[in-house]
Amino acid sequence: MGLRDLLDAVLGTTRLPEADSDRLFAISTAVVTMQTSLDLEPSGSAGLCFKPIESSGSAAVRAEIEDLLNITARETSSAFRIVTDAYHFNWVILEDPDFEDLVSGIHIVSQTLIERGLGAYLLCAVFRFGRDRRVYWIYNFKQGRYYPFVPLSDSTRDAAFEFRLRSLLERELPIENEVERWYPLWGIPL
Amino acid sequence: MALTLFLLALVYLLFVGFLVMLDVGTLLILAIVGAILLVQYFFSDRMVLSTMGARLVSEETEPHLYQVLTRLSSIAGMPRPRLAIVNSPVPNAFATGRNPSRSVVTVTTGLVRILNPDELEAVIAHELSHIRNHDVVVITLATFLSTIAFTIFRNWFLFGIGDRDRRASSLMLLPLVAGTTWVVSHLLILALSRYREFTADRGSAVITGRPSHLASALAKISGLMERVPRRDLREVEGMNAFFIIPAISGSSFFNLLSTHPPVEARIAALVRIEQEMEA
Repeated sequence: MGLRDLLDAVLGTTRLPEADSDRLFAISTAVVTMQTSLDLEPSGSAGLCFKPIESSGSAAVRAEIEDLLNITARETSSAFRIVTDAYHFNWVILEDPDFEDLVSGIHIVSQTLIERGLGAYLLCAVFRFGRDRRVYWIYNFKQGRYYPFVPLSDSTRDAAFEFRLRSLLERELPIENEVERWYPLWGIPL
Repeated sequence: MALTLFLLALVYLLFVGFLVMLDVGTLLILAIVGAILLVQYFFSDRMVLSTMGARLVSEETEPHLYQVLTRLSSIAGMPRPRLAIVNSPVPNAFATGRNPSRSVVTVTTGLVRILNPDELEAVIAHELSHIRNHDVVVITLATFLSTIAFTIFRNWFLFGIGDRDRRASSLMLLPLVAGTTWVVSHLLILALSRYREFTADRGSAVITGRPSHLASALAKISGLMERVPRRDLREVEGMNAFFIIPAISGSSFFNLLSTHPPVEARIAALVRIEQEMEA
Protein backbone atom coordinates (compact mmCIF):
# COMPACT_ATOMS: atom_id res chain seq x y z
CA MET A 1 0.00 0.00 0.00
CA GLY A 2 1.54 3.27 -1.12
CA LEU A 3 1.28 6.63 0.57
CA ARG A 4 -1.44 7.75 -1.80
CA ASP A 5 -3.49 4.62 -1.12
CA LEU A 6 -3.07 5.20 2.60
CA LEU A 7 -4.24 8.80 2.26
CA ASP A 8 -7.18 7.65 0.15
CA ALA A 9 -8.13 5.12 2.83
CA VAL A 10 -7.89 7.66 5.66
CA LEU A 11 -9.90 10.29 3.82
CA GLY A 12 -12.21 7.75 2.23
CA THR A 13 -11.53 8.81 -1.35
CA THR A 14 -12.63 6.34 -3.98
CA ARG A 15 -10.32 6.25 -6.96
CA LEU A 16 -11.08 3.61 -9.57
CA PRO A 17 -8.16 1.79 -11.19
CA GLU A 18 -7.74 2.68 -14.84
CA ALA A 19 -7.99 0.23 -17.72
CA ASP A 20 -4.85 -1.48 -18.97
CA SER A 21 -5.27 -2.59 -22.57
CA ASP A 22 -1.56 -3.24 -23.25
CA ARG A 23 -1.78 -7.02 -23.34
CA LEU A 24 -5.09 -7.31 -25.15
CA PHE A 25 -3.36 -8.23 -28.43
CA ALA A 26 -1.73 -11.33 -26.92
CA ILE A 27 -4.85 -13.28 -27.91
CA SER A 28 -3.85 -12.92 -31.60
CA THR A 29 -0.97 -15.38 -31.20
CA ALA A 30 -2.83 -17.68 -28.84
CA VAL A 31 -5.40 -18.39 -31.53
CA VAL A 32 -2.98 -20.73 -33.34
CA THR A 33 -2.49 -22.93 -30.28
CA MET A 34 -6.22 -22.98 -29.69
CA GLN A 35 -6.66 -24.35 -33.23
CA THR A 36 -3.76 -26.81 -33.39
CA SER A 37 -3.69 -28.22 -29.85
CA LEU A 38 -7.37 -28.10 -29.00
CA ASP A 39 -9.07 -28.01 -32.38
CA LEU A 40 -11.01 -24.98 -31.21
CA GLU A 41 -11.70 -22.41 -33.91
CA PRO A 42 -12.56 -18.82 -33.04
CA SER A 43 -16.34 -18.50 -33.22
CA GLY A 44 -16.04 -15.22 -35.10
CA SER A 45 -17.49 -13.11 -32.34
CA ALA A 46 -16.05 -11.04 -29.53
CA GLY A 47 -17.52 -8.62 -27.03
CA LEU A 48 -16.60 -5.67 -24.89
CA CYS A 49 -18.49 -5.19 -21.64
CA PHE A 50 -18.69 -1.83 -19.87
CA LYS A 51 -20.85 -0.05 -17.36
CA PRO A 52 -22.85 2.83 -18.78
CA ILE A 53 -22.68 5.83 -16.47
CA GLU A 54 -25.02 8.68 -15.75
CA SER A 55 -23.85 11.58 -17.84
CA SER A 56 -24.64 13.08 -21.18
CA GLY A 57 -20.99 12.41 -22.12
CA SER A 58 -21.70 8.71 -21.80
CA ALA A 59 -24.46 8.87 -24.41
CA ALA A 60 -22.20 10.87 -26.74
CA VAL A 61 -19.50 8.21 -26.46
CA ARG A 62 -22.00 5.52 -27.36
CA ALA A 63 -22.96 7.47 -30.48
CA GLU A 64 -19.28 7.89 -31.31
CA ILE A 65 -18.69 4.15 -30.98
CA GLU A 66 -21.63 3.41 -33.26
CA ASP A 67 -20.28 5.82 -35.90
CA LEU A 68 -16.84 4.27 -35.63
CA LEU A 69 -18.17 0.75 -35.99
CA ASN A 70 -20.40 1.72 -38.91
CA ILE A 71 -17.33 2.99 -40.77
CA THR A 72 -15.34 -0.14 -39.88
CA ALA A 73 -18.23 -2.36 -40.97
CA ARG A 74 -18.14 -0.79 -44.42
CA GLU A 75 -14.40 -1.42 -44.81
CA THR A 76 -14.30 -4.96 -43.49
CA SER A 77 -16.82 -7.76 -43.51
CA SER A 78 -17.65 -7.20 -39.88
CA ALA A 79 -20.96 -6.60 -38.16
CA PHE A 80 -21.70 -5.19 -34.74
CA ARG A 81 -24.50 -4.77 -32.24
CA ILE A 82 -24.83 -3.10 -28.86
CA VAL A 83 -26.88 -4.90 -26.24
CA THR A 84 -27.70 -4.35 -22.57
CA ASP A 85 -27.55 -7.42 -20.35
CA ALA A 86 -29.56 -8.45 -17.28
CA TYR A 87 -27.21 -6.44 -15.04
CA HIS A 88 -27.65 -3.27 -17.13
CA PHE A 89 -24.11 -3.43 -18.47
CA ASN A 90 -23.55 -2.61 -22.13
CA TRP A 91 -21.97 -5.04 -24.57
CA VAL A 92 -20.45 -4.06 -27.89
CA ILE A 93 -20.50 -7.32 -29.84
CA LEU A 94 -18.47 -7.65 -33.00
CA GLU A 95 -18.82 -10.40 -35.61
CA ASP A 96 -15.99 -10.97 -38.05
CA PRO A 97 -14.59 -14.14 -39.64
CA ASP A 98 -11.10 -12.61 -39.53
CA PHE A 99 -9.76 -12.95 -36.01
CA GLU A 100 -7.21 -10.14 -36.43
CA ASP A 101 -9.96 -7.71 -37.40
CA LEU A 102 -11.98 -8.84 -34.42
CA VAL A 103 -9.12 -8.15 -32.00
CA SER A 104 -8.32 -4.76 -33.48
CA GLY A 105 -12.02 -3.84 -33.48
CA ILE A 106 -12.27 -4.60 -29.77
CA HIS A 107 -9.08 -2.64 -29.21
CA ILE A 108 -10.37 0.42 -31.07
CA VAL A 109 -13.63 0.48 -29.11
CA SER A 110 -11.82 0.07 -25.79
CA GLN A 111 -9.40 2.88 -26.72
CA THR A 112 -12.32 5.15 -27.56
CA LEU A 113 -13.82 4.52 -24.13
CA ILE A 114 -10.47 5.06 -22.41
CA GLU A 115 -9.81 8.31 -24.31
CA ARG A 116 -13.23 9.63 -23.31
CA GLY A 117 -12.44 9.02 -19.65
CA LEU A 118 -14.61 5.92 -19.30
CA GLY A 119 -11.75 3.42 -19.02
CA ALA A 120 -12.48 2.80 -15.36
CA TYR A 121 -15.89 1.45 -16.33
CA LEU A 122 -14.55 -1.16 -18.77
CA LEU A 123 -15.34 -4.54 -17.24
CA CYS A 124 -13.80 -6.94 -19.73
CA ALA A 125 -13.32 -8.07 -23.31
CA VAL A 126 -14.49 -11.56 -24.23
CA PHE A 127 -13.34 -13.75 -27.14
CA ARG A 128 -15.35 -16.83 -27.91
CA PHE A 129 -13.96 -20.08 -29.31
CA GLY A 130 -15.79 -23.19 -30.46
CA ARG A 131 -18.94 -23.42 -32.52
CA ASP A 132 -20.91 -26.02 -30.58
CA ARG A 133 -19.44 -25.43 -27.14
CA ARG A 134 -18.71 -22.13 -25.46
CA VAL A 135 -15.08 -21.53 -24.61
CA TYR A 136 -14.22 -17.97 -23.62
CA TRP A 137 -11.05 -16.06 -22.97
CA ILE A 138 -11.89 -13.07 -20.79
CA TYR A 139 -9.55 -10.08 -20.67
CA ASN A 140 -9.81 -8.18 -17.39
CA PHE A 141 -8.86 -4.55 -18.05
CA LYS A 142 -8.13 -3.81 -14.38
CA GLN A 143 -5.57 -6.59 -14.11
CA GLY A 144 -4.44 -6.49 -17.73
CA ARG A 145 -4.70 -10.28 -17.82
CA TYR A 146 -6.67 -13.06 -19.45
CA TYR A 147 -8.49 -15.99 -17.87
CA PRO A 148 -10.47 -18.88 -19.33
CA PHE A 149 -14.17 -19.37 -18.75
CA VAL A 150 -16.03 -22.47 -19.92
CA PRO A 151 -19.65 -22.45 -18.76
CA LEU A 152 -21.54 -25.75 -18.84
CA SER A 153 -24.92 -24.36 -17.84
CA ASP A 154 -26.30 -21.21 -16.26
CA SER A 155 -24.30 -21.64 -13.09
CA THR A 156 -21.72 -24.41 -13.54
CA ARG A 157 -18.36 -24.29 -15.27
CA ASP A 158 -15.88 -26.82 -16.61
CA ALA A 159 -13.01 -26.07 -14.22
CA ALA A 160 -10.93 -29.02 -15.45
CA PHE A 161 -10.97 -27.76 -19.01
CA GLU A 162 -10.18 -24.22 -17.84
CA PHE A 163 -7.06 -25.49 -16.10
CA ARG A 164 -6.08 -27.37 -19.23
CA LEU A 165 -6.46 -24.16 -21.24
CA ARG A 166 -4.19 -22.39 -18.80
CA SER A 167 -1.45 -25.01 -18.98
CA LEU A 168 -1.56 -25.07 -22.77
CA LEU A 169 -1.50 -21.31 -23.23
CA GLU A 170 0.41 -19.91 -20.32
CA ARG A 171 3.45 -19.21 -22.46
CA GLU A 172 1.51 -17.20 -25.01
CA LEU A 173 -1.10 -15.40 -22.95
CA PRO A 174 -0.68 -13.23 -19.85
CA ILE A 175 -2.93 -15.39 -17.68
CA GLU A 176 -4.24 -14.29 -14.31
CA ASN A 177 -2.20 -16.19 -11.70
CA GLU A 178 -4.77 -16.01 -8.95
CA VAL A 179 -7.53 -18.47 -9.71
CA GLU A 180 -9.73 -16.62 -7.21
CA ARG A 181 -9.95 -13.83 -9.78
CA TRP A 182 -11.31 -16.11 -12.52
CA TYR A 183 -14.77 -14.71 -11.92
CA PRO A 184 -17.56 -16.28 -13.94
CA LEU A 185 -19.62 -14.13 -16.26
CA TRP A 186 -22.98 -15.84 -16.64
CA GLY A 187 -25.12 -15.21 -19.66
CA ILE A 188 -22.47 -13.79 -21.98
CA PRO A 189 -24.48 -12.56 -25.00
CA LEU A 190 -22.15 -14.09 -27.64
CA MET B 1 -12.38 14.94 9.00
CA ALA B 2 -8.71 15.57 9.76
CA LEU B 3 -9.84 17.77 12.66
CA THR B 4 -12.06 15.00 14.02
CA LEU B 5 -9.21 12.52 13.90
CA PHE B 6 -6.90 15.03 15.55
CA LEU B 7 -9.34 15.80 18.36
CA LEU B 8 -9.97 12.12 18.89
CA ALA B 9 -6.24 11.44 19.19
CA LEU B 10 -5.91 14.39 21.57
CA VAL B 11 -8.70 13.13 23.84
CA TYR B 12 -7.10 9.69 23.96
CA LEU B 13 -3.65 11.05 24.69
CA LEU B 14 -5.01 13.11 27.56
CA PHE B 15 -6.86 10.07 28.88
CA VAL B 16 -3.87 7.75 28.63
CA GLY B 17 -1.73 10.45 30.18
CA PHE B 18 -4.11 10.63 33.09
CA LEU B 19 -4.05 6.84 33.54
CA VAL B 20 -0.26 6.83 33.51
CA MET B 21 -0.14 9.71 35.97
CA LEU B 22 -2.49 7.79 38.21
CA ASP B 23 -0.07 4.87 38.13
CA VAL B 24 -2.87 2.54 39.11
CA GLY B 25 -2.99 -0.82 37.45
CA THR B 26 -1.37 0.49 34.27
CA LEU B 27 -0.43 -3.03 33.30
CA LEU B 28 -3.96 -4.17 33.94
CA ILE B 29 -5.33 -1.36 31.81
CA LEU B 30 -2.91 -2.13 29.00
CA ALA B 31 -3.84 -5.80 29.19
CA ILE B 32 -7.53 -4.97 28.96
CA VAL B 33 -6.95 -2.51 26.12
CA GLY B 34 -4.92 -5.06 24.21
CA ALA B 35 -7.34 -7.91 24.82
CA ILE B 36 -10.41 -5.94 23.79
CA LEU B 37 -8.71 -4.58 20.70
CA LEU B 38 -7.63 -8.08 19.67
CA VAL B 39 -11.04 -9.58 20.30
CA GLN B 40 -12.67 -6.77 18.37
CA TYR B 41 -10.17 -6.98 15.54
CA PHE B 42 -10.43 -10.72 15.09
CA PHE B 43 -13.97 -11.57 16.16
CA SER B 44 -16.20 -8.55 15.76
CA ASP B 45 -17.17 -9.53 12.21
CA ARG B 46 -18.21 -13.03 13.28
CA MET B 47 -20.02 -11.65 16.33
CA VAL B 48 -21.93 -9.16 14.22
CA LEU B 49 -22.83 -11.76 11.60
CA SER B 50 -24.06 -14.29 14.15
CA THR B 51 -26.06 -11.80 16.23
CA MET B 52 -27.71 -10.45 13.09
CA GLY B 53 -28.59 -14.01 12.07
CA ALA B 54 -26.67 -13.59 8.82
CA ARG B 55 -25.79 -16.74 6.93
CA LEU B 56 -23.05 -16.86 4.34
CA VAL B 57 -24.36 -17.94 0.98
CA SER B 58 -22.48 -19.53 -1.89
CA GLU B 59 -22.28 -18.39 -5.46
CA GLU B 60 -24.40 -21.38 -6.53
CA THR B 61 -27.36 -20.36 -4.38
CA GLU B 62 -27.19 -16.63 -5.17
CA PRO B 63 -25.70 -16.34 -8.67
CA HIS B 64 -27.36 -13.00 -9.39
CA LEU B 65 -26.20 -11.15 -6.27
CA TYR B 66 -22.73 -12.64 -6.65
CA GLN B 67 -22.59 -11.48 -10.25
CA VAL B 68 -23.41 -7.93 -9.10
CA LEU B 69 -20.69 -8.19 -6.43
CA THR B 70 -18.21 -9.56 -8.97
CA ARG B 71 -18.72 -6.81 -11.50
CA LEU B 72 -18.69 -3.96 -8.99
CA SER B 73 -15.60 -5.18 -7.14
CA SER B 74 -13.89 -5.67 -10.48
CA ILE B 75 -14.60 -2.06 -11.45
CA ALA B 76 -13.47 -0.91 -8.00
CA GLY B 77 -10.31 -3.02 -8.39
CA MET B 78 -10.75 -4.91 -5.12
CA PRO B 79 -11.10 -8.57 -4.16
CA ARG B 80 -14.67 -9.80 -4.23
CA PRO B 81 -16.13 -10.03 -0.71
CA ARG B 82 -18.35 -12.91 0.33
CA LEU B 83 -22.09 -12.49 0.61
CA ALA B 84 -24.35 -13.11 3.58
CA ILE B 85 -28.11 -12.84 3.85
CA VAL B 86 -30.29 -11.96 6.84
CA ASN B 87 -33.84 -13.22 6.79
CA SER B 88 -35.58 -10.00 7.81
CA PRO B 89 -38.24 -7.80 6.24
CA VAL B 90 -36.36 -4.67 7.39
CA PRO B 91 -34.41 -3.40 4.38
CA ASN B 92 -30.78 -3.02 5.40
CA ALA B 93 -27.21 -3.83 4.44
CA PHE B 94 -23.85 -3.75 6.16
CA ALA B 95 -20.22 -4.63 5.61
CA THR B 96 -17.92 -6.48 8.00
CA GLY B 97 -14.36 -7.74 7.99
CA ARG B 98 -11.02 -6.36 9.03
CA ASN B 99 -9.49 -6.24 5.56
CA PRO B 100 -10.82 -6.29 2.00
CA SER B 101 -9.92 -9.93 1.35
CA ARG B 102 -11.84 -11.18 4.41
CA SER B 103 -14.87 -9.01 4.04
CA VAL B 104 -18.50 -9.93 3.96
CA VAL B 105 -21.33 -7.86 2.51
CA THR B 106 -24.64 -8.65 4.17
CA VAL B 107 -28.05 -7.77 2.80
CA THR B 108 -31.48 -8.50 4.24
CA THR B 109 -34.15 -10.32 2.27
CA GLY B 110 -36.30 -7.21 2.71
CA LEU B 111 -33.70 -5.11 0.90
CA VAL B 112 -33.53 -7.51 -2.04
CA ARG B 113 -37.30 -7.61 -2.30
CA ILE B 114 -37.92 -3.86 -2.07
CA LEU B 115 -35.17 -2.42 -4.25
CA ASN B 116 -34.96 -2.73 -8.00
CA PRO B 117 -31.71 -4.15 -9.46
CA ASP B 118 -30.18 -0.70 -10.02
CA GLU B 119 -30.87 0.44 -6.47
CA LEU B 120 -29.62 -2.84 -5.04
CA GLU B 121 -26.43 -2.44 -7.05
CA ALA B 122 -25.97 1.08 -5.63
CA VAL B 123 -26.40 -0.17 -2.04
CA ILE B 124 -23.91 -2.99 -2.62
CA ALA B 125 -21.46 -0.45 -4.07
CA HIS B 126 -21.92 1.66 -0.91
CA GLU B 127 -20.93 -1.34 1.22
CA LEU B 128 -17.99 -2.10 -1.08
CA SER B 129 -16.79 1.47 -0.51
CA HIS B 130 -16.84 0.91 3.26
CA ILE B 131 -14.66 -2.15 2.72
CA ARG B 132 -12.37 -0.38 0.29
CA ASN B 133 -11.95 2.56 2.68
CA HIS B 134 -11.10 0.18 5.57
CA ASP B 135 -13.90 1.76 7.56
CA VAL B 136 -14.25 -1.19 9.91
CA VAL B 137 -10.63 -0.81 10.99
CA VAL B 138 -10.81 2.99 11.13
CA ILE B 139 -13.85 2.89 13.39
CA THR B 140 -12.52 -0.01 15.48
CA LEU B 141 -9.32 1.88 16.14
CA ALA B 142 -11.25 5.05 16.86
CA THR B 143 -13.60 3.33 19.28
CA PHE B 144 -11.42 0.97 21.22
CA LEU B 145 -10.06 3.49 23.71
CA SER B 146 -13.52 4.91 24.03
CA THR B 147 -14.58 1.39 24.98
CA ILE B 148 -11.88 1.21 27.63
CA ALA B 149 -12.92 4.55 29.06
CA PHE B 150 -16.49 3.32 29.22
CA THR B 151 -15.44 0.07 30.89
CA ILE B 152 -13.44 1.95 33.51
CA PHE B 153 -16.30 4.36 34.04
CA ARG B 154 -18.67 1.47 34.69
CA ASN B 155 -16.24 -0.56 36.80
CA TRP B 156 -14.02 2.07 38.37
CA PHE B 157 -14.38 0.53 41.81
CA LEU B 158 -12.45 -2.52 40.61
CA PHE B 159 -9.32 -0.54 39.94
CA GLY B 160 -6.68 -0.08 42.57
CA ILE B 161 -8.24 -2.32 45.19
CA GLY B 162 -5.81 -2.58 48.08
CA ASP B 163 -4.21 0.76 47.32
CA ARG B 164 -7.20 2.71 48.48
CA ASP B 165 -5.43 4.77 51.13
CA ARG B 166 -2.50 5.87 49.08
CA ARG B 167 -4.30 7.18 46.03
CA ALA B 168 -7.81 7.70 47.27
CA SER B 169 -8.05 11.23 45.94
CA SER B 170 -6.94 10.44 42.40
CA LEU B 171 -9.14 7.37 42.36
CA MET B 172 -12.10 9.64 42.94
CA LEU B 173 -11.16 11.46 39.77
CA LEU B 174 -10.95 8.28 37.70
CA PRO B 175 -14.66 7.78 36.96
CA LEU B 176 -15.02 11.47 36.19
CA VAL B 177 -12.15 11.54 33.70
CA ALA B 178 -13.10 8.18 32.21
CA GLY B 179 -16.70 9.29 31.84
CA THR B 180 -15.74 12.55 30.18
CA THR B 181 -13.36 10.77 27.85
CA TRP B 182 -16.07 8.35 26.86
CA VAL B 183 -18.67 11.05 26.16
CA VAL B 184 -16.34 13.32 24.19
CA SER B 185 -14.76 10.52 22.17
CA HIS B 186 -18.16 9.05 21.46
CA LEU B 187 -19.38 12.33 20.01
CA LEU B 188 -16.27 12.55 17.84
CA ILE B 189 -16.79 8.98 16.68
CA LEU B 190 -20.33 9.82 15.65
CA ALA B 191 -18.98 12.70 13.57
CA LEU B 192 -16.38 10.37 12.10
CA SER B 193 -18.90 7.70 11.15
CA ARG B 194 -21.20 10.28 9.59
CA TYR B 195 -18.26 11.45 7.50
CA ARG B 196 -17.52 7.84 6.47
CA GLU B 197 -21.15 7.41 5.40
CA PHE B 198 -20.90 10.39 3.10
CA THR B 199 -17.63 9.12 1.60
CA ALA B 200 -19.15 5.67 1.08
CA ASP B 201 -22.12 7.29 -0.71
CA ARG B 202 -19.67 9.12 -2.93
CA GLY B 203 -17.78 5.87 -3.46
CA SER B 204 -21.00 4.16 -4.54
CA ALA B 205 -21.66 6.98 -7.01
CA VAL B 206 -18.14 6.64 -8.44
CA ILE B 207 -18.28 2.83 -8.72
CA THR B 208 -21.74 2.60 -10.27
CA GLY B 209 -21.40 5.86 -12.20
CA ARG B 210 -24.99 6.53 -11.21
CA PRO B 211 -25.54 8.65 -8.08
CA SER B 212 -29.30 8.77 -8.63
CA HIS B 213 -29.63 5.02 -8.07
CA LEU B 214 -28.32 5.27 -4.51
CA ALA B 215 -30.44 8.36 -3.89
CA SER B 216 -33.57 6.51 -4.89
CA ALA B 217 -32.56 3.46 -2.84
CA LEU B 218 -32.05 5.64 0.24
CA ALA B 219 -35.39 7.34 -0.24
CA LYS B 220 -37.10 4.00 -0.63
CA ILE B 221 -35.46 2.42 2.42
CA SER B 222 -36.03 5.39 4.69
CA GLY B 223 -39.66 5.70 3.70
CA LEU B 224 -40.12 2.05 4.39
CA MET B 225 -38.28 2.07 7.68
CA GLU B 226 -41.08 4.21 9.12
CA ARG B 227 -43.80 1.93 7.87
CA VAL B 228 -42.54 -1.47 8.98
CA PRO B 229 -44.44 -2.98 11.89
CA ARG B 230 -43.18 -2.23 15.39
CA ARG B 231 -42.28 -5.84 15.98
CA ASP B 232 -39.66 -5.75 13.27
CA LEU B 233 -38.21 -2.49 14.49
CA ARG B 234 -37.96 -3.94 17.97
CA GLU B 235 -36.05 -6.87 16.57
CA VAL B 236 -33.52 -4.41 15.19
CA GLU B 237 -33.47 -2.41 18.42
CA GLY B 238 -32.93 -5.61 20.37
CA MET B 239 -29.91 -6.32 18.26
CA ASN B 240 -28.36 -3.00 19.26
CA ALA B 241 -29.18 -3.55 22.90
CA PHE B 242 -27.27 -6.81 22.81
CA PHE B 243 -24.01 -4.92 22.59
CA ILE B 244 -23.44 -3.54 26.05
CA ILE B 245 -20.09 -2.13 25.04
CA PRO B 246 -20.88 0.86 22.83
CA ALA B 247 -17.83 0.33 20.62
CA ILE B 248 -19.32 -2.72 19.01
CA SER B 249 -22.88 -1.55 18.64
CA GLY B 250 -23.42 0.18 15.36
CA SER B 251 -19.85 1.16 14.79
CA SER B 252 -17.76 -1.88 14.02
CA PHE B 253 -20.23 -2.51 11.23
CA PHE B 254 -22.25 -0.13 9.16
CA ASN B 255 -25.97 -0.05 9.11
CA LEU B 256 -27.01 1.72 6.03
CA LEU B 257 -29.21 4.13 7.96
CA SER B 258 -28.54 4.04 11.66
CA THR B 259 -25.24 5.77 11.14
CA HIS B 260 -26.67 9.17 11.51
CA PRO B 261 -26.50 11.57 8.60
CA PRO B 262 -30.12 12.31 7.72
CA VAL B 263 -31.23 10.76 4.46
CA GLU B 264 -32.16 14.19 3.06
CA ALA B 265 -28.57 15.39 3.52
CA ARG B 266 -27.20 12.26 1.87
CA ILE B 267 -29.57 12.57 -1.07
CA ALA B 268 -28.65 16.25 -1.45
CA ALA B 269 -24.96 15.29 -1.49
CA LEU B 270 -25.67 12.68 -4.18
CA VAL B 271 -27.45 15.27 -6.30
CA ARG B 272 -24.34 17.47 -6.08
CA ILE B 273 -22.15 14.54 -7.13
CA GLU B 274 -24.42 13.95 -10.09
CA GLN B 275 -24.03 17.60 -11.13
CA GLU B 276 -20.25 17.27 -10.82
CA MET B 277 -20.26 14.15 -12.98
CA GLU B 278 -22.41 15.87 -15.56
CA ALA B 279 -20.10 18.90 -15.72
